[in-house]
Amino acid sequence: MSSITAPSPAVDPDNPLVPGGRSRRRTELIMLVFAFALVLFAFANVGFSLKGTLPSGTAEYLGAFIVIVLAAHLAMRRFAPWADPLLLPLAALLNGLGIVMMYRLGAQVNPATGNPQVSASATGIQILFSAIGIGCFVAVLALVREPRVLQRYTYTLGAIGVLLLALPAVPGMPGSEVNGAKIQISFGSLITVQPEEFAKLALAISFAGYLVAKRDVLALAGRRVLGVDLPRARDLGPILMVWAISLLLLVFESDIGTSAVFMGLFVAMLYIATSRTSWLLLGFVMFVLGAFAASKLVGHVGERFTVWLHPFAGNNPEGIAYQPVQALYGMASGGLLGKGLGGGQPYITPLVQSDMVISAFGEELGLAGVMAILLIYGLMVQRGLRTAMLVKDPFSKLLAGGLSFMLALQVFVIVGGVTRLIPLTGITTPFLSQGGSSLVGSWILIALLARLSDTARRPPPRSIQEEGLTQVVTLK
Amino acid sequence: MNRALRRISIAVLVMFVLLLINVNYLQGFETASLASEPGNSRAFYATQNQYERGSIITSDDVTIAASKPSASANDSIKYQRYYPYGPQYAPVTGYDTLYSQTGIEAAENSLLSGNDSSLDVRKFIDLITGKSTKGATVQVTINSKAQAAAYSALAAGGKPGAVVAIDPSSGKILAMASYPSYNPDVLATHDGKQLVTVDNQLLADKSQPLLNRALEGAYPPGSTFKIVTSSALLTQNPGITINTNVASPNQLTLPQTNNLLINNDGESCVSGTGQAPLITAFAQSCNTTFGKIGMDLGASALSAMATKFGMNNQNLTVPLTVAQSNYTIPPSLALTAYSAIGQYDDTVTPLQEAMFSAAIANGGTLMKPYLVQQVTASDLSTVTSTTPSVLSQPVSSSVASEVGKMMLAVVQDPGGTGYAFNASVEGVQIAGKTGTAETGVNNAGLDDAAFTCFAPYANPKIAVGVIIQGGGYGATAAAPIAVQVIKAYLGNQ
Repeated sequence: MSSITAPSPAVDPDNPLVPGGRSRRRTELIMLVFAFALVLFAFANVGFSLKGTLPSGTAEYLGAFIVIVLAAHLAMRRFAPWADPLLLPLAALLNGLGIVMMYRLGAQVNPATGNPQVSASATGIQILFSAIGIGCFVAVLALVREPRVLQRYTYTLGAIGVLLLALPAVPGMPGSEVNGAKIQISFGSLITVQPEEFAKLALAISFAGYLVAKRDVLALAGRRVLGVDLPRARDLGPILMVWAISLLLLVFESDIGTSAVFMGLFVAMLYIATSRTSWLLLGFVMFVLGAFAASKLVGHVGERFTVWLHPFAGNNPEGIAYQPVQALYGMASGGLLGKGLGGGQPYITPLVQSDMVISAFGEELGLAGVMAILLIYGLMVQRGLRTAMLVKDPFSKLLAGGLSFMLALQVFVIVGGVTRLIPLTGITTPFLSQGGSSLVGSWILIALLARLSDTARRPPPRSIQEEGLTQVVTLK
Repeated sequence: MNRALRRISIAVLVMFVLLLINVNYLQGFETASLASEPGNSRAFYATQNQYERGSIITSDDVTIAASKPSASANDSIKYQRYYPYGPQYAPVTGYDTLYSQTGIEAAENSLLSGNDSSLDVRKFIDLITGKSTKGATVQVTINSKAQAAAYSALAAGGKPGAVVAIDPSSGKILAMASYPSYNPDVLATHDGKQLVTVDNQLLADKSQPLLNRALEGAYPPGSTFKIVTSSALLTQNPGITINTNVASPNQLTLPQTNNLLINNDGESCVSGTGQAPLITAFAQSCNTTFGKIGMDLGASALSAMATKFGMNNQNLTVPLTVAQSNYTIPPSLALTAYSAIGQYDDTVTPLQEAMFSAAIANGGTLMKPYLVQQVTASDLSTVTSTTPSVLSQPVSSSVASEVGKMMLAVVQDPGGTGYAFNASVEGVQIAGKTGTAETGVNNAGLDDAAFTCFAPYANPKIAVGVIIQGGGYGATAAAPIAVQVIKAYLGNQ
């Protein structure tokens, strides 16, 4: 902003107070066209590979997808014109690829069962959930015009988050176990919701609000041990509470993946807020100790470690390690360039449409495709972290940093789990997995990041009077 | 806060770099080792279904297994295997399911599926010329007429059993039928659930349709083993001819027991004088004569001769694995007498039954039996072809000729056990040996019927072995089936 006297070429000469001066919505539109083209190409690839023609529903499926994504784009123009131009196209591309994969899995019979891996209606349902997700995206942009208003709901959202997390563990709650984890609740026979997908967003906002308020206290140094300034014992309350929640998640819902994401999210936000490395160390040690104890106490958790260390040993491939091992076989059979969409056998892997979806992409798009998908996630996270750097107020900074880190952690936990970098824990792959809760949650996350980046990039209010006089500004 | 954010960004970068390194390792370097994991059905599917699977045809070019495009477009497997003759050729072709194969489908799998390295050059040419690669065609030695006759004769009899016919001069297997059989078509389904259901039904079926009795069934040879006993006798004692008188008592008291070895139904053998020419005792299948000969020769001499005829061989493949035919050295002289007439622990496969005759018919030289004549690539060039090879020389040509005369007497001599078939095939003399083996604990089971023969006597072209479980007399239940096969094959020449 010091460039008022010496405007750089990037500054609009007619509008010197607006840095950059470009909302980049047209860039977003062009990138969206790229995303649409890729999704269309993927659809055609599946069709020609499986049936030798363009799939019959292509026009309808793709048409619906383009319409809802363009609706999101228009909402961006209306409600968040200064938002980062890459967030929406990246999310739309992943969402589109997920829809294509549902179509692909529904269009081919799994010889072992005589049925397709997912029902033929899965594509339509995935598009429907995309529409709901983008509806929520638009609603968040429209309702939350200024991120700082969320700070007011620090404790409300915290309570809601904890409640949502605890819901599936409530005795008598209608739900079902997924791979030993109890994370779903059901309404009737058709609708199941995974409350954790929304709980983590509520808690991220709540953590940001709380930490902004308390960060000065939490940054105070206590005793110095081995060259590390430990926090004061009396400030350990919050981290102990989150730790307890994450351990309860482990014990009562056997959901080690989400538990790791929560703990990681809180510790990372604590570190961003206080810049104290000791919090990172403390959080890491606490989680590892907790997870170790849980692995001894909860059979389901210990099993994951056994499978991770010895997937091929003994009779494992037919037993508990069948699913992760099949995912590895799938990715390995894809090799560098993959079998092509429709050319592999992803249906052999159980639940390939949800937790293991990255293995289906690995099998059919190969190493090249998986790296591209990882880079898309990486770019999304990078845009979020960049927003955190740009945005001015601490709450927004913390929230943007926390949400971006959470997205990265989630991708790390699931993709690392499927590829045997770390023990496999069942969490969804954002935007790609089948399932409404995850898709809607992911779109809300993108909406929050878009809102934050809009705030970060929005030019300061234009002066409406001559400089030197007292300025009257219009606040949007 | 920005400093902490920068550090978090670096942590995120490290996380993504770790993921990228790991996928590179997994998909770039571990593909081969994971593809060869035993539980990796993807690799199995991929190799099985990469190319159109080659056909299996008989020596007279009848297609007995082939592939056609799958009926459903949703099918993840592009080609459907089918077997035009179903159960008739099941022991030969075996089956090709989603998960496994048997028979020729298993033995020649790499060539049929097109993945054998010997096809690499041709596949490369196909790639350049733009032709779609197809697996190699396997031609088996089976003669379709002989096979059809063998299976229909077994099915008409309705009892479990098997027939094997061999060309004595080469070892080519001309027919190989087993009953009851199964239709490999039902196992070729691409519906895994249906496959499991059908497979379980077949496995649970008490009549054991999946068992290839021709190669895997082991039954007591009964009196057909007298070919081995005679061969040992004539080889060891050059002074003895088939016209030499040998002891032929009505009853043979076995040493160290109270058991009496008697002839069938306790009747006296030959004239009842206690002496008979060897050829007559053979033609009328006198148990007492051969029991005594066995005791005189000793078990190790019998064992050596049985082994030369192909028994006690656990490594015989055609290339399908053949169950071992056993001659176990008995612990007592009394049991040696039983073993010399094909009882005690003696067991043979129907293939072994045919090999007895084949060796005699081929002047004492036993050719190694084989089922695969040649393998032809999709461009009609020959990939491999089988050259006949000698398995063993159980007897000299003179002994073979003597034993052959005795086998001729079984069918041509009015007192012979197989006299009923002396003119069964017009203008053809059949030489054979019947066998009726007692089975079960205390011989409580129905007798197994066995018959081994070759024809024409003067110029042998086919040797047949038949065993019918619970069939009764060899001459009644087994020999007619062999005659049908000979008729079909020689009429076809």
